[in-house]
Amino acid sequence: MRIENLSLAYSAVVEVPRDERPFPWSRRTKKREIQALDNVNFSVGAGKAVALLGGNGAGKSTLMKTIIGALKPSAGRIDLWGRPHLLAPGLGFNRKLSGRENVILGGLAAGMTLEEVKDKAESIIDFADIGGFIEMPTTTYSSGMFGRLAFAVATHVDPDILLIDEALSAGDAAFKERAVNRVQEMCSAARTIIVVSHSTALVSEMATEGVWLHQGHVRMQGDIDEVSEAYLKFQAEGTETAQLDRTIADR
Amino acid sequence: MESSAETEAPALYTRRSTRTGLPPMRNYLANAWRYRTFALYWSRADVKARNFDTFFGRVWHVINPFLFGLIYFVFVGIIGGGGFDDTERLALIVGNLYAWLFFSTIVTTSASAIQSGAGGILTQSSIPRMVLPMASAITAANLFFRSLLAYVPLHVLAGRGLHIEMLWIPYLTVLTMLVGFGIALVMAVLNVYFRDISRLLPHGLRLWLYLSPVIWEYTRVLDNAEFAQLNPMYPAYTAWTVAFGGTLDPDGPSMLGSLLWFTLFAFVVIVVGFITFASREDEFAVRN
Repeated sequence: MRIENLSLAYSAVVEVPRDERPFPWSRRTKKREIQALDNVNFSVGAGKAVALLGGNGAGKSTLMKTIIGALKPSAGRIDLWGRPHLLAPGLGFNRKLSGRENVILGGLAAGMTLEEVKDKAESIIDFADIGGFIEMPTTTYSSGMFGRLAFAVATHVDPDILLIDEALSAGDAAFKERAVNRVQEMCSAARTIIVVSHSTALVSEMATEGVWLHQGHVRMQGDIDEVSEAYLKFQAEGTETAQLDRTIADR
Repeated sequence: MESSAETEAPALYTRRSTRTGLPPMRNYLANAWRYRTFALYWSRADVKARNFDTFFGRVWHVINPFLFGLIYFVFVGIIGGGGFDDTERLALIVGNLYAWLFFSTIVTTSASAIQSGAGGILTQSSIPRMVLPMASAITAANLFFRSLLAYVPLHVLAGRGLHIEMLWIPYLTVLTMLVGFGIALVMAVLNVYFRDISRLLPHGLRLWLYLSPVIWEYTRVLDNAEFAQLNPMYPAYTAWTVAFGGTLDPDGPSMLGSLLWFTLFAFVVIVVGFITFASREDEFAVRN
């Protein structure tokens, strides 16, 4: 995967505070441009696992959404050798359907063919381990049960490029361990992995390289331990929040 | 926005901005085709979620347009002075109304199909967004065919008989679906920018219903035909009326002429709708 000069900006409508309106007929809203990604460049080789690090608003999730194609770049390009898959539990689910029906619907939404979903349905149901509830509408499920089923569907896809954005666990403690093992199995099968998590310990286990995003641009790139260390040091100094506040004030 | 090229496996997918906003068409259509089974299952789930798989759900869906037809029959009977003893007119209104509700259901449900994130599909997947209104259009077609069966006894009771023009019903169904889908695509985009569009839509559709020969015979405006034909739904529902019950006036608009105008309108609407939607669908994830 190669990302070249990637930028993404969008406009948002914000309300103008009453005391900033000179006249009663002054506009109550104005457009503000948000530069979510700013000239991002990096590449990930086949068989590599990369962690995206960065604080809230750094552009990590925006970058993931741009890679899968949900958002369009304003400039630059992304070349992907293989179809990407974002691990998104619950994608396409309909709460009024039974668990079994949602396995089919969710599997199709995740990009599987009908034959693939049918082949994997029993394995997905076994992994979710929710017993007789599988035949009942998912409106009757606890949030934990729903999370287990959604996670089971999302992790039975065989992607070329696997994207994981803070979706590494679901359900109770016992299920969490199986969930992490399952994701690691997926990682070993996928050619390329990009993982986002605020847990630097977790991403250090999964990735060999790190990319630190800060306010939409790449601040550091390299060995995961070095990038993690620099990012943690930056966070410990408390400078990130202060800089974020300054950026918002500037905008 | 997404393009793939056959090199050595695996395929290359590229994300980049385009000047027109339109994605590379060949890849876009191929990607939409890839999700055709998902569209069918999404539609089936939609039908089930609306309780149409239960006995009373199905009965209500069939009765609802019939009751509408009855109300309009009384309404037209009072306003137009046609009385209440004309079963032929009741059958005409109910038959046309089924066809109109097919159209309006496609517009309203397809236009709102991309609201509220659509189960995460807008923000967490690369499924072409057009698949969602497409699924809603499939749902509307499914329900239309089921409900059409309920019209048959009334057709027989009113003595509307069998006509050669009935063979056009499948073609009219396709055209109606295309027009509804095309308009829905434009409305879906407008609704992303102006949220009140979804509130105005039912009122606009109701006005359009009154201006079209659905609950009144198309022969009523023959003296003022030029004005009436400015409404593209005039030839459309003239064709539906003739297809259901045969021609009302041999000197009136011809079936082939009505079909020609309807076909032209459907073509323009679907092309405009497709281009509008495909060039804007990348913004849905940001604005939803």
